[in-house]
Amino acid sequence: MEILVSVLADTVLITLVLAFAAFGLAIIYGLTGVINMGHGAMLTLGAYFTWWLLDQGVPFVPTVLLSALAVGLVGLAFEHLLIRHFYGRPFDTLLLTWAFFLVTTEVIKIVFGTDFRNVADPIGGDPVNLGIYQVPTYKTVVALLALAVVAGTALVFFKTTLGVRVRAMTQNREMAGLLGLNVAAMYKLVFGFGAAMAGLAGGVIAPMFAVQPYMGDMFLVRSFFVVTIGGIGQLLAGTLFGSFAIGGLETVLALFSDQVIAQIAVFFIAVIVLRFRPQGVFSGR
Amino acid sequence: MTAEIQPARRGVFRREDVAALAVFLLLAAIPLATSGYVVYILPQYMLLGVLAMSLALLWGHGGIVSFGQAAFFAIGAYAMGLVMKHLTGMAINSAYVGILVGTVGGGVTALLIGYFLFSAGVRAAYFVVATLALSIVVEQTVKSFSDITGGWNGLYVDRMTVTLGSWLELSLFDDAPIYYVVLAVVVPVYVIATALMRGRFGKIVVGIRENEDRMTALGFNVPMYKTLVFGLSGLLAGVAGSFYATHAQFAHPVNAGVLFSTQVVIWVAIGGRHSLLGSFVGAIVVASLSNYLSSIEEIQNYWPLVMGLIFIAVIVLFRGGLAGLVEKLAGKGAHGRAAGH
Amino acid sequence: MALVITDVSAGYGGVTVLRNVSLALAEGEILGVLGRNGMGKTTLIRCLAGLIEPTTGTITLGGENITDLAPHERARRGVATVVQGRGIFPRLSVRENLTMGRVAGASARRDRTDEVLGYFPRLGERLAQAAGTLSGGEQQMLAIGRALMTDPKVMLLDEPSEGIMPVLVQQIAAIVTAINRQAGLTIIIVEQNVPMVFGMTDRCIILEKGRIVAQGSRDEVSRSEVMKEYLAI
Repeated sequence: MEILVSVLADTVLITLVLAFAAFGLAIIYGLTGVINMGHGAMLTLGAYFTWWLLDQGVPFVPTVLLSALAVGLVGLAFEHLLIRHFYGRPFDTLLLTWAFFLVTTEVIKIVFGTDFRNVADPIGGDPVNLGIYQVPTYKTVVALLALAVVAGTALVFFKTTLGVRVRAMTQNREMAGLLGLNVAAMYKLVFGFGAAMAGLAGGVIAPMFAVQPYMGDMFLVRSFFVVTIGGIGQLLAGTLFGSFAIGGLETVLALFSDQVIAQIAVFFIAVIVLRFRPQGVFSGR
Repeated sequence: MTAEIQPARRGVFRREDVAALAVFLLLAAIPLATSGYVVYILPQYMLLGVLAMSLALLWGHGGIVSFGQAAFFAIGAYAMGLVMKHLTGMAINSAYVGILVGTVGGGVTALLIGYFLFSAGVRAAYFVVATLALSIVVEQTVKSFSDITGGWNGLYVDRMTVTLGSWLELSLFDDAPIYYVVLAVVVPVYVIATALMRGRFGKIVVGIRENEDRMTALGFNVPMYKTLVFGLSGLLAGVAGSFYATHAQFAHPVNAGVLFSTQVVIWVAIGGRHSLLGSFVGAIVVASLSNYLSSIEEIQNYWPLVMGLIFIAVIVLFRGGLAGLVEKLAGKGAHGRAAGH
Repeated sequence: MALVITDVSAGYGGVTVLRNVSLALAEGEILGVLGRNGMGKTTLIRCLAGLIEPTTGTITLGGENITDLAPHERARRGVATVVQGRGIFPRLSVRENLTMGRVAGASARRDRTDEVLGYFPRLGERLAQAAGTLSGGEQQMLAIGRALMTDPKVMLLDEPSEGIMPVLVQQIAAIVTAINRQAGLTIIIVEQNVPMVFGMTDRCIILEKGRIVAQGSRDEVSRSEVMKEYLAI
């Protein structure tokens, strides 16, 4: 019973952390169609900004927000310099975002070095003992934050006129422009927001992982699977479902085998799922 | 458009053949003129060149980008190492078996993955992600099964010996013999790949890149051709990997991973994705340059950054890479490559 | 003059489709553009909407030169386009489609929802429905209503009768005419359905191979050689 509860709780937490990590990718991929291979580097960058700002004595909450802002600005600059000229040419944006990953990783190595950095748990203290489950405090906070971010975005997406504009644009870009929408500016906004979300996620998960230049890599592929299994454009339910499939499966499989084998197995399953439902499990069409 | 440029290209020899001849003659002459590190290291770069060609025929001709070429290379390398290590005391030369297993292993793995994905008509983006995952899976596998693969330390591989029954036994322990053996592998690989790509098969593959729907409408089995070209690509990567392992005397997880796969993409982009020769030369030049510049302390940290920036410049400014640039300078650019991308 | 087109040529990839077209529309006028398929009608609309750049000539809206403006900038100045095939957002609700018309451009447009629902009561009954589930005629109503939501000065209609039941075509024609009268909206309507256009306006042009080959009143246009050929087909 205790094992079941703790596995279930762990799975939920991991799912939400993974959803958080994948969210920026879901935004950019789902709304602009850019296959952002630089997503992992954006996470890493957010983690490093967080590490650095904390090192400068900035408190944790403003640090994480500033990290998100900074990565968002980097994303905006990248979009403005390169990406905006290549919308509608998915292969070129794929290569360019991959180049973004390479360049960003190298800049991180030059500026911050290659040593592993540790970000202290900002809450600290022992897990809260609920008798049948030891609640890992910080992880739980991150999971709740992930829920809040997804829910907040859902609210904007479905309940505001900004949301109407974004959804209309993804359904018919030319028509949105003919009605007066500045599509280029909207793409820029979306790209910047997606980058900022990746930066936020990177900052928030920094205390849970060793911060090093390649920390985003693993999240890149996982995030892709999350987004594609969930269904592109199915930002919210899709992302949560995809995270549950990837993160949950990994947790459960890891119980019976090695962590690495679990991960490999999950990748295999993800590829198989994509083969049979390339439009994503959650996509209605 | 294709019909217009056909006559100019129909001759038995083309400019690229002359260039290829020059490149291979130069490579053949190098051990005669010098010795030492250059002769030691060049065969490895030539094999990286073959790896680059494996991607070029997929990307440049087929329009399919794979971020998993390192996986097939590693399959070749580890197959070579493991077969040579464990298959002893047999009448047959274990290195030959290793090469065969490595090559077929790379090819068959690619065929299976290609069939699995292309038959469902997965889009290019998913294919990239799937091949990226393949790289990670192979890297993680060789890292974690360390009792078999040596894990992080890599796997030691012997230099092979060329035998021909009882008539010939040539150790490849010295630099020059293995140099020429590698060259003797690389040249036919290039010639066969080039011939294939210029023939009917290559034309169909290019046709699919240009307009998949049209080729389907014309009755071509598009998934099959994509699968075949991917299989061929895996085969070439496998050959390159098996010879690389015996030359470098190790198989290592570094040569399986995502970063190594990425480097292959960069070589090909810089060399010219439409040209097998360009990719081959691109890999040799960029790999040597990287190796050289990384050994200089003042710039070693900046070199990968510069590579990344060059990569961006190639994507944005010179889509044809070096080969495209050379073609343009040679005056062919105006009408030759126009239909290229 | 609401809209003045001077010597406009345009095309795609080096092929000229529209040749030296000049037109002027007074405020509140309806102009019918007739012609067979491939004669440049849609190209004219796309050119006015800003989707393709003219190779020669100028377009002015209320005296302002809009030739080099992007589609969204023209929309913000009062050019509303109802595209061929209607271009509704299928997975937005009817209400959201209309909202999009109001908010896509400038933020301070007057809200014309009530007016639009007055013209098209059927839309009012289906506000919460996904627009993709509407019938062709209803989608056309939505597209016109949504264009009206942008509070335009000029409306461009590209083949509004295409694929719609004849009963509804008459109804839509009547409503568009009413909008023109009540709101003083300037309208260019591109059509192959000659009776529909003749029912709406007295001023027409005929495009043939990208040129204006006949223009004038219904009667003048009807008497032209091209029209006789055209009607004979």
